[in-house]
Amino acid sequence: MAAGDERALGELYDRHGSTVYALARAIVGERADTEEVVADAFGQAWRTAGQFDPARGTVTAWLATITRTRALDLVRARGRRSKVLARAAQESDAGFATPLASSDAPDRDVERQETRQLVTRSLGALPEAQRRVIELAYFGGLSHSEIAAELKEPLGTVKTRLRAAMEKLRDALSPRISQVEP
Amino acid sequence: MTEHRWTELAAPYALGSLDAEERAEFERHLETCASCRAEVQSFREVSGLLAQTVPPATPPAELRERILRAARQVRPLTPRRRTILPWAAAAAVVLAILGGFGYWRAENEARVLRTRLDVAQSQLDSTKYVVAALLDSSVAITDLAATGKAPSMRLYWNRARNIVVVAAFDLPPAPAGRTYQLWAIEKGHAPVSVGIFNTSPTGRAVITLAMPTAVRPQVSAVTEEPAGGSPQPTQQPFLVGSWSGGR
Repeated sequence: MAAGDERALGELYDRHGSTVYALARAIVGERADTEEVVADAFGQAWRTAGQFDPARGTVTAWLATITRTRALDLVRARGRRSKVLARAAQESDAGFATPLASSDAPDRDVERQETRQLVTRSLGALPEAQRRVIELAYFGGLSHSEIAAELKEPLGTVKTRLRAAMEKLRDALSPRISQVEP
Repeated sequence: MTEHRWTELAAPYALGSLDAEERAEFERHLETCASCRAEVQSFREVSGLLAQTVPPATPPAELRERILRAARQVRPLTPRRRTILPWAAAAAVVLAILGGFGYWRAENEARVLRTRLDVAQSQLDSTKYVVAALLDSSVAITDLAATGKAPSMRLYWNRARNIVVVAAFDLPPAPAGRTYQLWAIEKGHAPVSVGIFNTSPTGRAVITLAMPTAVRPQVSAVTEEPAGGSPQPTQQPFLVGSWSGGR
């Protein structure tokens, strides 16, 4: 991939395309915008593959970061809000974790399926207030103070919750996180 | 400010939820703090996994071709081409002044450039760290080999700081869902994991791992394991080397 092998890009897409697409869709909502984000994200991955360093993290995390950034950029450029925020405003118990836990994802790759279930379960196991903060930060792209304003909670409370939630998730997901030593 | 105060910022930083001022402050701290950088990296993996919790969606079939077609028109950046950065940054500033559509594009461009600068900075930090670990009188070196053929590996063990720098050569990346794992083996004891790693598509890797303090290894070995690593090796090592002199 780093060498500019086009076949490698095809393989990367085959392996991660549906995850990237689903993430973009969850943030931007509309189909045409989703496709634009996915095309942009793989374009950026293609151009900057030489800078990806496997010793510093996984491909999945790298692609997810690119995709999320692109998706949030597009939402902001459109002057809209992330789909998650729109949903959160409508449903008091908004969140992906609950509905997803029972859904059967059309993913034949057993290991990815297991990872998906573990992450979904771990997120669902968080107290609702903590899960909410994580979703607003990750899928909504909101900062500490924006989350505090959104939830009408004190800033300190938001900070504590977000950190506690991330630490719990890291513990729960440790078998799936590659160790990257300083 | 105490170390503790900084550590607290690693999780929100990895999620991108620090407010601008705090983020800038923390980034300055990160330049000099390897342990906070490791914290950030582990939380980045967590946030990467969060992407997996969204409802599954199937991309339209034509999207794949659209992406490959676009890629044919662009050569990937090679590290050398980063030398055009100051130039491009200046161009982005000029565009920003022009306003309108140009402004929006320049914003995006500048964001991409900032990301690349961040990447370059972190690569430089990691290089400095590796060099510092290597240049020490306490460093022991061993070569791991598979009967004299490729792949091969050289380990540099900085015993004063308990750091192992791993340099791998001609080792293709582990298959999907698998990883490489380095073991420290002391005679009469079970192998102890030093850490997991993977190589780049070019078959190279230079990474640093912490040598467990409880072990005085005479031998180090590498196995291929399921992603995430195993508590004990599940197969015969394919690279083995011995430490002369012990600790």
